[in-house]
Amino acid sequence: MNEHHAIAPTLSSQDIEPTGIPVQGGHISALTSESRSNVEKGYASLAIEVIGVTKEFDGGAVRALNGMDLRVERGEFIAIMGPSGCGKSTLLHLLAALDSPTSGTIRVEGQDLSHLPDPSRYRRQTIGLVFQLHNLLPRLSALANIEVAMMGSHRPHRERTVWARQLLSELDLADRERRHPPQLSGGERQRVAIARALANDPPVLLVDEPTGNLDSDASANVLALFARLQREYGVTTVMVTHDPAVAQAAGRILQMRDGRIGDPIGA
Amino acid sequence: MSTIVLLLSNIWAKKARSFGLAFAVALAVMTVVVLTVVSSGLESSAAAILKIGKSDFTVAQKNVSDVLFSYLDTHQLAEVRATKGVANAVGALIETERINAANPLFLEIGLPLDELTPFGVHVLAGRPYSANATHEVMLGWRAAEDMGLHVGDGFYANGTKNTIVGIYSTGISFGDLGAIFPLSAVQAYNRVPGAVTLVFVKVAPGYRIGEVEKRITYAHPELTTIRTVTQFGRADRNLVFLKAAATGSTILAVVIGAIVVGNTMMLSLFERTREFGLLRAIGWTRTRVVSLLLGEGMVLAVVGAAVGVGLSYLVTSILQALPQLAGVLHSNYTSEAFWRGLYTGLGMTILGTLYPALRAGFLAPLQALSHE
Ligand SMILES: Nc1ncnc2c1ncn2[C@@H]1O[C@H](COP(=O)(O)OP(=O)(O)OP(=O)(O)O)[C@@H](O)[C@H]1O
Ligand SMILES: [Mg+2]
Repeated sequence: MNEHHAIAPTLSSQDIEPTGIPVQGGHISALTSESRSNVEKGYASLAIEVIGVTKEFDGGAVRALNGMDLRVERGEFIAIMGPSGCGKSTLLHLLAALDSPTSGTIRVEGQDLSHLPDPSRYRRQTIGLVFQLHNLLPRLSALANIEVAMMGSHRPHRERTVWARQLLSELDLADRERRHPPQLSGGERQRVAIARALANDPPVLLVDEPTGNLDSDASANVLALFARLQREYGVTTVMVTHDPAVAQAAGRILQMRDGRIGDPIGA
Repeated sequence: MSTIVLLLSNIWAKKARSFGLAFAVALAVMTVVVLTVVSSGLESSAAAILKIGKSDFTVAQKNVSDVLFSYLDTHQLAEVRATKGVANAVGALIETERINAANPLFLEIGLPLDELTPFGVHVLAGRPYSANATHEVMLGWRAAEDMGLHVGDGFYANGTKNTIVGIYSTGISFGDLGAIFPLSAVQAYNRVPGAVTLVFVKVAPGYRIGEVEKRITYAHPELTTIRTVTQFGRADRNLVFLKAAATGSTILAVVIGAIVVGNTMMLSLFERTREFGLLRAIGWTRTRVVSLLLGEGMVLAVVGAAVGVGLSYLVTSILQALPQLAGVLHSNYTSEAFWRGLYTGLGMTILGTLYPALRAGFLAPLQALSHE
């Protein structure tokens, strides 16, 4: 499963000094030869495959997804736009195996989500999810919120705090690590949630309105980070947004309407 | 942050609730430890009667409510004495009497003069009583010390005023807290000529104790032999009832405690639903969520149990200080009482936490996340 880890091999094999402290800032700039070569070899090149997926709620009264099809290449950065209530969050929840479709098939990184042997492990290792409403644990510090996501992961204990700090500084939150969510601004919370989604080096990142609470500078930083994760680590990113300017950061923009994908915009 | 720090910070975040839970555990543990300590104290002080003499085992009447109500007549004593393998058999008439407020259950032993030495009595001061004296007594050195009495002093007991002719030691504290009279004097006062309460048997060399015991009980189904404190518990029905009551109260304490703990945990589950949903959504396994809650419960249980043991100490001290109970209630802090307390605390917590913890682990993450 190592080829699924976009960031971990880099951090553990190249950036950890014998002391166990990663070289500051080194993990992002170093390239993961492994994950890139996997993409180049065309090895299971589809990261996400959604085939004829329908999701109904309330016994069919609400049809949030309606025969949806979607294919995302490994290492792609796509944006999904669409009116409120068209099923964007529902799609991300299904991709995160937090809910199952009424019908249809979803495969992520080659795994059929309806036959996951261990959904917890899938959520921990394969995907990083940023909810539309920042779901941080209010009683824990920003740092601890990230560390909690690593509990049960393969990362050695002594590296977790170091890595969580590094993620925070990557998101310009280095001086906020001890703050608790109620003491953080909406945008800061959003960024902590993004840092948490990256905690286990997921090959697939699912983000729901990541820039909803961010000003243009902060938005630009977060988008630059997504672009860098894609470019340098081959992370597949699916970003839901209602902001056309934000969507422009993605390589492909998809319009959703009434529970399915409309015509692609851009390339 | 490690899981254990997370666990402790969760406990700390809800101080009042955590305190309440630990307190419920402490009360249950206290109840159980007090009952255990007191019943074990009664058992050991009652069983100490068996140890007042040097013997391999003791013979008593079967099925008496209190071992001191045991009654063996001259005939039975003679037959026990004549049993093959018995080196000697000392019959003693034992009673308790209220001497004063501090000694509501003063131990009085009636022994024939010639059995004093085989019984293990050493005269420390004065002299032994004469064989058929009616107003002579020997006082145990601890009893003498407690009451400030000396050889030559008068001592009201066994229905009459006696003269203390000697101070003795048996080397066993319980025996040294009593008084020894000529057997005939105690028999006469209690109007039971020839009767004894217990027979202390010494087995002859070359014979197995168990074999001799069997021989006696086979020939006398109305008698029982006692070698250990446990066997004593079986011979004394009051103790049987007391221990049954202690066990019953333990079960009751565990059940009530589990309900209180369960209630608290259910409340916590509803309050923390979003938290558990989020943990599951970011990849925590069910097992991990269940363990987190069980772990929180366990920590509180251990703290509660420790407090409960401390409280039990306080309560037994207070009970023993009550004038009505002085000298009656003995506490015996055994490691058993301590473990029982810990098991009670852990048991009720596991019982009370398991269901809420499982519920937390099996929450559907999305629904839990949208929980208000
Ligand atoms: N648990 C649910 N029960 C019933 N209906 C639901 C549930 N979740 C979502 N829906 C409905 O499904 C539809 C799609 O919801 P979804 O949250 O996916 O929309 P969205 O595209 O993310 O909208 P927005 O841009 O406002 O976030 C909506 O009509 C919503 O009311
Ligand atoms: Mg949404």
